[in-house]
Amino acid sequence: MEFDDKVPIYYQIKQYIYKEIIVNRLKPGAKLPAVRQLAVKLTVNVNTVQRALSELVNEGILKPQRGKGNFVTTDISVLVDLRRRVVEGQLAMVYDRLAELQITPDEMIQYLTNYIDQRKEQSHD
Amino acid sequence: MTDLLAIKDLSYKRNMHTILTDLSLTLPHNAIIGLLGANGAGKTTLMRLIAGSATEFHGEIRLNDETAASIRKSMVSFSEQLAGLNPGMKLNQIADFYDRVYPDFVRADFDKLAQQLELDLQKRLNQLSKGNQRKFTIAITFARHVQLYLLDEPFNGIDSMNRKKIIASIIQWKPEMATILISDHHVTDIANLLDQVIVVQHQTVVAQEKADTIREKHNQSIEDYYESFYEGENEHD
Repeated sequence: MEFDDKVPIYYQIKQYIYKEIIVNRLKPGAKLPAVRQLAVKLTVNVNTVQRALSELVNEGILKPQRGKGNFVTTDISVLVDLRRRVVEGQLAMVYDRLAELQITPDEMIQYLTNYIDQRKEQSHD
Repeated sequence: MTDLLAIKDLSYKRNMHTILTDLSLTLPHNAIIGLLGANGAGKTTLMRLIAGSATEFHGEIRLNDETAASIRKSMVSFSEQLAGLNPGMKLNQIADFYDRVYPDFVRADFDKLAQQLELDLQKRLNQLSKGNQRKFTIAITFARHVQLYLLDEPFNGIDSMNRKKIIASIIQWKPEMATILISDHHVTDIANLLDQVIVVQHQTVVAQEKADTIREKHNQSIEDYYESFYEGENEHD
């Protein structure tokens, strides 16, 4: 995995695990690899992985089981909320950048709709 | 929990030449810390002083509440300790020697590390490529079970494949509560690995900062942070 060196690594590991959950490579109830194993895989410090995982536990996304490791929550409402939160994070960036260009919300919808139609057509070619 | 290492007002001269002046720093338990500085800044000397292989200094070096150099020597695994070996020795002879000399050396761990790093133990030290020398140094250094590991420029002059293998071994073999101090003048190699960085400049420690603080508060990469200490003094290092 490539990291952006200007962003805290624990934060990027959280984003990586969010993504694995959202695209269902980590399914509800699935066990995460051991901390050290994850650290080797991502080429980062064990402490950094530990920090990312404990924040995910605090957010209710991972459920620790004593002596067994960390598991993705099976609480679907938490996972639905996670998906919404991550998507909104991406949309917020687009919104802010377009707002800086003084594009109105109605124009944004128009541009976005047109753009999506274009992309759909491209993928049919 | 108290600090693993505390250095207070350390000054060191060699041949009338001042190398370190009024240097103070502390290292916590369970951390990977980058020791950064230009070539000749005194990084290796600082490691020798911590490891007890250089002794004529002023100030205090306290490792787990021990100050005597001979005791500190037994508590630190220092990559440079290999430098004094007979280069004609075979790798497994060196491992046998370490096994006899250091009570904290675990031969089985050495064998696992050597296998993982694909070292041929029948080879002699002077038959190894630079990359294999570095890998052997890592294997022998981490086969000792201590609380402080000092790695002096562990990636100097090796290719990226070997660098990756060494980094994987460091992550995998660091004992849970141990601390690793890694010196490097090319910080990008190890930026993702570090909990903290220490910058050595003008014969002393000019900064010690958490990696997350550098990224979060200063919005900088570790490399930019390090380079900011050298701005405006390109000519005289």
